[in-house]
Amino acid sequence: MTVSTVESARTWFSAQKIAGYGVAAVAAVFVLYPVYFLLQAAFDVGDPQVRPPTAYGLDNFSGLFQFPQILLNTLNVSLAATVMALVFGFVMAWILARTNVPGRRLFEQLMAVPYYLTPLLGALAWSLLGSPESGFINQIWRALGGHDHLIDINTGYGIAWVMALFEGSVAFVMIAAVMKSMDPSLEEASQVIGASRLRTMLRITLPLVVPGVLGAAIFVFAEMLGSFAVALVLGLPNRYYVVTTAIYQLVQQYPPKIQTAAAMGVSLFAVMFVMLFLYRRIVMAGSYVTITGKAFRPRVADVGPLRYVLLGVCVFYVFVAVALPLATLLYASVQKIAVAFPTAGNWTLDNFRTAMSMNAVRSALGNSLLLGFGTATIGVVLMGLLAWLIYRSRLPASGVMEYVVMFPQAVPRLVFAFGMMWAWVVFPIPIYGTLWLLLIAYITVFLPLGVRTIAGVMLQIDKSLEECAQMCGASWAFRVRTVTVPLLVPGLVAAWLLLFIASVRELGASILLMGPHSKVITPSIVESWFGTSSELTATLALIQTLVVAIAMIVLVAVTRRVGAQPVD
Amino acid sequence: MAGIKNRNVTRRTLLKIGGAISAAPFVGFPAPGVLAQGQTKSPTKVLDFMTNADVAKAEQEGQLVFYCHENEPGTAGIVEGFHKDFPKINTSYVRAQTGALYNKILSERSAGRFDVDVIQLSDLAPAVDFQKKGGYEQYVSPESPAYKAEHLSSPVGSFFWTGVDPAGIAYNKAKVTPSEAPKTWQDILNPRWKGVISCKISASGLQFVQWYALRKLYGPGFWKEFAKQNPHAFDSRVQLFDRLAKGDDKITAIGEYPAYILFKEKGANVEFVAPPDGLVATPLIVGAVSKAPHPEAAKLFVDWAMSKRGQAWYQTNPNLYYGSVRTDAPPMPTGVRLSEFKLLYPADWDDYANQRDVFSKEWNGMLGL
Repeated sequence: MTVSTVESARTWFSAQKIAGYGVAAVAAVFVLYPVYFLLQAAFDVGDPQVRPPTAYGLDNFSGLFQFPQILLNTLNVSLAATVMALVFGFVMAWILARTNVPGRRLFEQLMAVPYYLTPLLGALAWSLLGSPESGFINQIWRALGGHDHLIDINTGYGIAWVMALFEGSVAFVMIAAVMKSMDPSLEEASQVIGASRLRTMLRITLPLVVPGVLGAAIFVFAEMLGSFAVALVLGLPNRYYVVTTAIYQLVQQYPPKIQTAAAMGVSLFAVMFVMLFLYRRIVMAGSYVTITGKAFRPRVADVGPLRYVLLGVCVFYVFVAVALPLATLLYASVQKIAVAFPTAGNWTLDNFRTAMSMNAVRSALGNSLLLGFGTATIGVVLMGLLAWLIYRSRLPASGVMEYVVMFPQAVPRLVFAFGMMWAWVVFPIPIYGTLWLLLIAYITVFLPLGVRTIAGVMLQIDKSLEECAQMCGASWAFRVRTVTVPLLVPGLVAAWLLLFIASVRELGASILLMGPHSKVITPSIVESWFGTSSELTATLALIQTLVVAIAMIVLVAVTRRVGAQPVD
Repeated sequence: MAGIKNRNVTRRTLLKIGGAISAAPFVGFPAPGVLAQGQTKSPTKVLDFMTNADVAKAEQEGQLVFYCHENEPGTAGIVEGFHKDFPKINTSYVRAQTGALYNKILSERSAGRFDVDVIQLSDLAPAVDFQKKGGYEQYVSPESPAYKAEHLSSPVGSFFWTGVDPAGIAYNKAKVTPSEAPKTWQDILNPRWKGVISCKISASGLQFVQWYALRKLYGPGFWKEFAKQNPHAFDSRVQLFDRLAKGDDKITAIGEYPAYILFKEKGANVEFVAPPDGLVATPLIVGAVSKAPHPEAAKLFVDWAMSKRGQAWYQTNPNLYYGSVRTDAPPMPTGVRLSEFKLLYPADWDDYANQRDVFSKEWNGMLGL
């Protein structure tokens, strides 16, 4: 063997390449293996009981036109929820990023709470508040002399309202980021030449943030299309189906309509894929003239006494999205039959006793926390390497990997779970029905979230630091360990916490993949909603929130302590 | 009207059962080692019931995996009862509606996964189908003679009726006066109940039985008229009564008696109506699964569930309140015996099973799916 051959082999088998291709292969298998099974089911027109399929065709897709109402409902709810979420997000972002409203920092923190609380909790609470007959708001309305009902949450607009309240925080984060990067001198110039605040907002602020808002709109719309929990809790009582809840119902019955459900899922995936492609195009186009070479410091406008009105708007949002749902669940959890005006004999703590005796609390909560910990820890390593592979390495096919990694973003998790169920049930290693399957599922569906979060920080680190170490003769592994990772620590900690929360609150993928020894909490709450009383379900949701809040407080304290350690 | 024949356990019945057992290996069932053991080994007494299971081995297996159609507290209640009696055997479960559960177990078995020991379904049709597919372990419990032949699988040994879930009509007393309340099944078609009546989704075994039985009684037009009522459909009996108790629905077209007892105890203002043509009823089917990972625990569970002890647990647990079909069963917690109700079962179970697709299509169409 010549020296040049050895050199060539060394280059080929370098640690960098082995790690890069290894991680890429794992991610590709996680993502593409279930998608293959999903597509197979969608095009299967043979005997549904026989696998692998005996015949392929497009009948399942043409059959979808038998469900025009469901398609229309999906479009209606998604559009209405997107518009509402954008209004909430835009107004809150403008108030908190651009005005001197009192308590800005506190409200900025509180805006993240709906994301932690989950849309499921919001749906359960709003179901208790806004059902036409038994909803607390409607009971109070009638007690005050009103007739019939004041609100009906079991309609398309009711579903959209709750979805918007909880997705509003996502829209807020996206729009606020754009607003914060906007040069305030543009608005100041407008006011100097005599424009009113309203006119300035409409003629200057709004046009400047339009690309960002449009990007957020498409992203939120795609999220709404794949939304499941709210439509399930609020839509089913009134037979208001959207595509995701219809899919769920179709696979739950006997004989299951898996092929129709798969075709619905693939169609939804196609629409979401187009939406996210548009979103990426808008974001990549980078037509934000607000970020320039000129240095500026984001400054807030003094809105005078109006700031107290804006404070009222902030308080109202936090009240309806956080305080009211939590208070409602607490109120319902201590009653035998939840009513607005309970009698003395209606109060009870039995729901908490029952909840603690159920698997849902005994083991599911423990499993959820364990999975959250595992997903976050393994995910940060895997996704960190993927982010490095895609955005920093010069390895071939890194561009393709970006599309593969972002793929799960375009597939509703419930739909992805079908593919996973079939894929892993036939897999020779027996992980089906275990926590390992859920771990793989979580890592797969959260790939886009983790990679995007870490990439955001990674792209801010100047490449020259790594190159400098390389010039000094440091190997790839040494450079990653001593330069890249220490600089990435804040981003990795943020990604860890995000993945932890996302895993603990996960519903769509878990609901189909849970086994007898791998129950997790959010699907258990949904099962409780299906099979037990709303009071017991409220209790479970409260317990979940409390435990997750405690876990978060502990984790944030630990990560702050770790973050405070000096880096060598 | 379809009713069940009141047949006593006679010597002839037992001989028939014995004959069926002996014939089993020759009619396509896998030669059951368990069965052979059941014939050669005399049953032993454990607690206060008889079993062919090796209790020491079952405890050594230390685990029982139970698939059940029942709601979460109900399923938890069943395994809790067994675990109380056999604390060395840990229990775990999966619960889902019968349709989803059956689909799950079929998918798993087609992929060579055998994770479940015992399954309970709320519909005889998938149970018979599962039996045809060789899904059940052939195990004849020494407690079998306490059951009539029609409450056991044919041939005996695959499954048995662990209880019956009867349903009539229920209404909210604050919203509906007794004089306004429906008295017969036809009364649920009264337009006054439009938009304020509930039923179950097509995945429910009991809903299938009701559709079949009332269609036989009143013709196919009955359910077409019912569809005009825009009923609200739900997964479980507790959801139906939860809404009824709160007034979200004024009446439910499928008020299950166990849920009625549960909600009465909670103080809900609800009332139960038993139509004169009878209560629709579905059997709750329990059987040990073939290739179970914990076969002795599975057999022990079947014996426990069939025994007086297990039946008492099923019949008195607030989240179950099943009516027992054991010939020597005591009355239900309300003091009523199941045999005092006039029950409507499908007269021809094969025809019933064949109608599943027709039902699913009609019911889903009615609900907008």
